[in-house]
Amino acid sequence: MRAETLRLLAGLVVALALVLPLVPLAIWSVAHGWRFPDLLPQAWSGKAWALALSQRGGVLESFGLTLGIALATTALAALVGVPAGRALGLYQFRGKRAVLLLLLAPAILPGIALVLGLHDLFLRLGLVGSAGGVILAHLVPVLPYMTLVMAAVFTGFDTRIEAQARSLGAGPWRTFLTVTLPVILPGLLTGALFAFLVSWSQYLLTLAIGGGRVQTLPLVLYSYAAAGRNDVAGAIALIYLLPGVVILLFTARRITGHSVGLELRP
Amino acid sequence: MGAIFELELPMLRPLAALLLLTTTATADTADGEALKGMTWDQIVTEARGGTVNWFMWGGADNINSYVSDYVAGQLKAEYDITLNRVPITDAAEIVNLILSEKEAGITDAGTVDLIWINGENFRSMKAADLAFCGYTTLLPNDALVNWDNPAIANDFGVPVDGCEVPWNTVQFAFAHDSAAVAEPPRDMAGLIDWIKANPGRFTYPAPPDFTGSVFVRHVFYHAAGGPDALLGPFDQARFDEVSAKTWAILNELEPFLWREGATYPTTVTQLNELFANGEVAFSFNYDPAQFGLAVQDGLWPETVRSYGLADGTIGNTNYTLIPFNSPNKAAAMVVQNLLLSGEAQLEKAKTEVWGAAPAVEIGRTSAEVQAGFAAITGHPSVVKAEDLAKAALPELQADWLTAIEDGWRANVGN
Repeated sequence: MRAETLRLLAGLVVALALVLPLVPLAIWSVAHGWRFPDLLPQAWSGKAWALALSQRGGVLESFGLTLGIALATTALAALVGVPAGRALGLYQFRGKRAVLLLLLAPAILPGIALVLGLHDLFLRLGLVGSAGGVILAHLVPVLPYMTLVMAAVFTGFDTRIEAQARSLGAGPWRTFLTVTLPVILPGLLTGALFAFLVSWSQYLLTLAIGGGRVQTLPLVLYSYAAAGRNDVAGAIALIYLLPGVVILLFTARRITGHSVGLELRP
Repeated sequence: MGAIFELELPMLRPLAALLLLTTTATADTADGEALKGMTWDQIVTEARGGTVNWFMWGGADNINSYVSDYVAGQLKAEYDITLNRVPITDAAEIVNLILSEKEAGITDAGTVDLIWINGENFRSMKAADLAFCGYTTLLPNDALVNWDNPAIANDFGVPVDGCEVPWNTVQFAFAHDSAAVAEPPRDMAGLIDWIKANPGRFTYPAPPDFTGSVFVRHVFYHAAGGPDALLGPFDQARFDEVSAKTWAILNELEPFLWREGATYPTTVTQLNELFANGEVAFSFNYDPAQFGLAVQDGLWPETVRSYGLADGTIGNTNYTLIPFNSPNKAAAMVVQNLLLSGEAQLEKAKTEVWGAAPAVEIGRTSAEVQAGFAAITGHPSVVKAEDLAKAALPELQADWLTAIEDGWRANVGN
């Protein structure tokens, strides 16, 4: 009983710690003037939301662009990360440690160093200032997460279930779709979640490689915050939170779900 | 091309649109020298269908909508030019972007077609040959600009030399809440006394913040007994003498500043927030129109008023500049010409639009535009430009600015 109460309390504290910082953002987004020492704004206004949701504000356009970039980055990361993770998780080969270290490098290196090097390279390749260039650039910090998660998934993967499917006459594509994919899906979703959120939150890399022309949501948010427009910044910040929350709600159950392939090993 | 349009097949329309897109994309006008040999009409013809990527500070949504709605609307309707406003937070980042493009050998396909700029950033661009120069007389509305005014012909003491086109003029002013401080000090000596008499109620952003830097220059002028001896090229002996006095004044003030001067705001936005919350009694800005905007947005109380100093405040002009590697120079020139027109200058001078002071001589504009300017009443929180102009101080050359900023860091902000 007491342990359960404690657990509930701890849960509440964690939830509060996560939600409390968002309260001022929500209030700011509907405030018309909120100055010290007032506990609440002098007046309420829908102006910030009207601007954030209007065609003119460019926030919605930016939302779509950011979403597209994050989804494309995630898809590309999965395309590369699943086979790479399989190789790393299932096979021993010479230089495996070196490969792992190289994979981890972008996640360990300071972002600013990465940006400077990439910017020069991308300039020479003519990739600066386009959404495509930004997607490619996002892959650099995103891939380590995807590949390492998939490597961990495949470490516990039993290839004999694939062999069984093949022996029963399934082709490679069908084996992947009906046998391998369901087993790795929770891991893949976790990796995709990381990939999406890492891409979604890129600021410096987008600014440099996008040359200011690829206006993702973090850039728009920062430009209002830097100008002291707390009301508009509050509204954009809440919009910015949306995908993370939605994805988490949809995937939380699947990620923690059990699957058969991972339990076959003795 | 016409033949495709005559076919009334719906399937072909997207194709025709695509073809049009590709033809306009290839007709770039990166070659500035060729443009200089053309007449204005030829340049306008070259500009049609072009796209201009204008990198500009994006922190004020009324300025943004003036550009995205009014300016972009006119450009589309009259010249079929698409204006793509790219919001930025610091022009110095864009100067670095263009510099790295130059280093990477990108001389005719740059990212930036137009940039809102002045001061040190202009000096950097001019010094590194990053600006397209010597074309401004081609713009018909250039005739509205009084180039004999040294405050327009020089950008922070650096001769403009046809490398940029003036857009707005601004003059530094202080803002105070009349409900909190009814009678603010009206000169620098008075302000220094006020700060000492009201500990913790004043601060300024640490240079090299643009606004903090200009505040320190006002103290510098005060220490020098006026700017006259400081104009012209950098003079080390004079700098040493005046700066010693300036640092003495500022260090003496430090214990009376907000948080006893242990820390300074790093941006004018932070100062504005301290002012909004009543922690400090004054904010200040190079563009007093910002005070009216802050009140309109509900950030500041309606009792905010603003004023200049009896010993004068510093004024400057801000400009638009076309980088050397812009691929859309003709269209960017058309944008600059439109920005300079009496009508566009009047529109942005309107209080509800922006409240920005014009960079053109009002007397040279049409009678309707002049009447429009005369009809502007102004925001009660914004000191009138004519009142400020009665005591205007010039900006120093950029070498002085960097010396003062470095000196502040070493002697005051340490």
